[in-house]
Amino acid sequence: MTILLEAKNLSKQYRLSHGQTLRAVSDVSLVVHRGEALALVGESGCGKSTLGRTLIGLGAPSSGDVFFEGERISGLSDRALRRWRPRMQMVFQDSSSTFNPRRTIGETLAEPMRIHGRTGIAERIAALLEQVGLSSSVLSRYPHEFSGGQRQRLNIARALMLGPDLLVADEPTSALDVSVQAQIVNLLRELRNSLGVACVFISHDLAVVRQMADRIAVMYLGRIVEEGDVLAVLQAPAHPYTRALLNAVPRPDRPLPPPLKGDVPSPIHPPQGCAFHTRCPLAQPRCAQERPEPHRIVEGRTVACHYPLL
Amino acid sequence: MGADALLKLHHLHLELPDGTALLEDVSLTVRRGDALGVVGESGSGKSLTAMSVMGLLPGLKASGSIGFEARELLGMKDREWRRLRGAGMAMIFQDPMTAFLPVRSIGAQIDEQIRLHERVSRREARARTVALLGRMGVPDPEAAAKRYPHQLSGGLRQRAMIAMALSCGPALLIADEPTTALDVTVQAQILTLLCEIRDSGAGVMLITHDMGVVAQTCTHVAVVYSGLVVEQGPVAAVMARPLHPYTQALLEAIPPLDGPRPDALPSIPGRPPAPDARPEGCVFAPRCRFVRPDCAVRPALREPEEGRRVACVLYDA
Repeated sequence: MTILLEAKNLSKQYRLSHGQTLRAVSDVSLVVHRGEALALVGESGCGKSTLGRTLIGLGAPSSGDVFFEGERISGLSDRALRRWRPRMQMVFQDSSSTFNPRRTIGETLAEPMRIHGRTGIAERIAALLEQVGLSSSVLSRYPHEFSGGQRQRLNIARALMLGPDLLVADEPTSALDVSVQAQIVNLLRELRNSLGVACVFISHDLAVVRQMADRIAVMYLGRIVEEGDVLAVLQAPAHPYTRALLNAVPRPDRPLPPPLKGDVPSPIHPPQGCAFHTRCPLAQPRCAQERPEPHRIVEGRTVACHYPLL
Repeated sequence: MGADALLKLHHLHLELPDGTALLEDVSLTVRRGDALGVVGESGSGKSLTAMSVMGLLPGLKASGSIGFEARELLGMKDREWRRLRGAGMAMIFQDPMTAFLPVRSIGAQIDEQIRLHERVSRREARARTVALLGRMGVPDPEAAAKRYPHQLSGGLRQRAMIAMALSCGPALLIADEPTTALDVTVQAQILTLLCEIRDSGAGVMLITHDMGVVAQTCTHVAVVYSGLVVEQGPVAAVMARPLHPYTQALLEAIPPLDGPRPDALPSIPGRPPAPDARPEGCVFAPRCRFVRPDCAVRPALREPEEGRRVACVLYDA
């Protein structure tokens, strides 16, 4: 598999008042292969959305680099980045706020192609609407006339207008009801198969992630704590946090195991050592002292833990 | 139903002034020590059901009956409602950030509720507030009581909210999507807490869209679709063998967390009808895979098995 996108030691910090710093993403390295789906999962505030945006140049990293097809795209000016934008597009969670309410769907869908000076706009729109399962009668209508599920289909169609190689989808199904969620999950899978577009899915829902992704990267307080094949990781997690996350999903078929204690610590004052040691049921003295670096434990699985479960 | 029935909705019907029916013929029972999960998708009427029990729906026309302990709540005066809310029944909401007043400490807000219902001194009220916060698992409850809503994390805010709801020892706790805004690990903590409250003898009515949450916390479940109850029964039985095609489809649409990964998830085509465009027959018929001619008549809720009810022609004798 060829590497499409690569991040090396990526960090993103925000300066707050009183000289405080919020470390949203710390020292993350990852690759996305061509046509592959990688899921970034974690709880709110773990940095998954910030990482997703930084990967495609929505906001420059504080340090570290991003390479797209081997060329460095981090640190480029907006003007220089413009050449790369059509290759990577974003799908946002809340489809009701990403459409201009005063523009028809037709105008909104045409805009990316107009900006990038493409021709054959009408044909492209017709083809994409068919792929996302909508008829061309939607073009003269306004965003508020659609249900959440339909709007999410339009949102996906817009992101695909320029034929990107990489789609970053931030919680694409979490605002939807279960039955509609299943439709969108299926649609994203079909599109990935038919178009060969690589995806980075940002989600907190492990069941949805398992259905949509090839690989999974679990984040905690700005760092990737475990990464590997999605089925293998969810079958047998190696990091105690991944296991806790998986155990916490309420399921019809088994009682809830004892929950993790406490809340996620603040990213302004992350704990010393392993960031998870304050909540980890298996923490040892060493965990509070020394930060575990991500290391490979078996083929295709890296984990940042001194005492992995595998 | 047994003498221990705490809340009993009987043929509750709710409509807008223009005659559009929002809830049709909803019958439910919550017993002491039981938790009833009311599950449905957005717009199904699950929150409306909860609000009508709390008497929070002025301007809507209600008929049928809402029995609570030995009283009939429909038609009660505002003053009687106010006495009942908090002391008899209490409600917690999805977003505790908007449910708390942002400009007063959470302790002050819980104290106020206690003093509204009972004649106790400020000092006593605060002592009870702190004890309650502690029982809800809030670390350092004395300091937490002095903090403002925005200074607490989402999970702690929800715990404070539950403490406030329980402050006057209500017999019934209604929770409307109490964990939807929370992360899974925090959700697990709150669900454990709800189970403890249920086991201590209160009746719990949990409104949610998540079948997994129901399975974890509830003893009984009622599935609502487009303003109607389509199936109800004990949780274990309904999860193991759902009767109504809608319940079946809802459970199948959840992606599995283990076992083989399906190529496509079974999904329900289309979407629920708007209240003013409900089909005359079975409300689920337009999306149902088993639809047949006799679905054109609205099926009644029947009891094909002991303790289980379903509104579907497939179970007509």
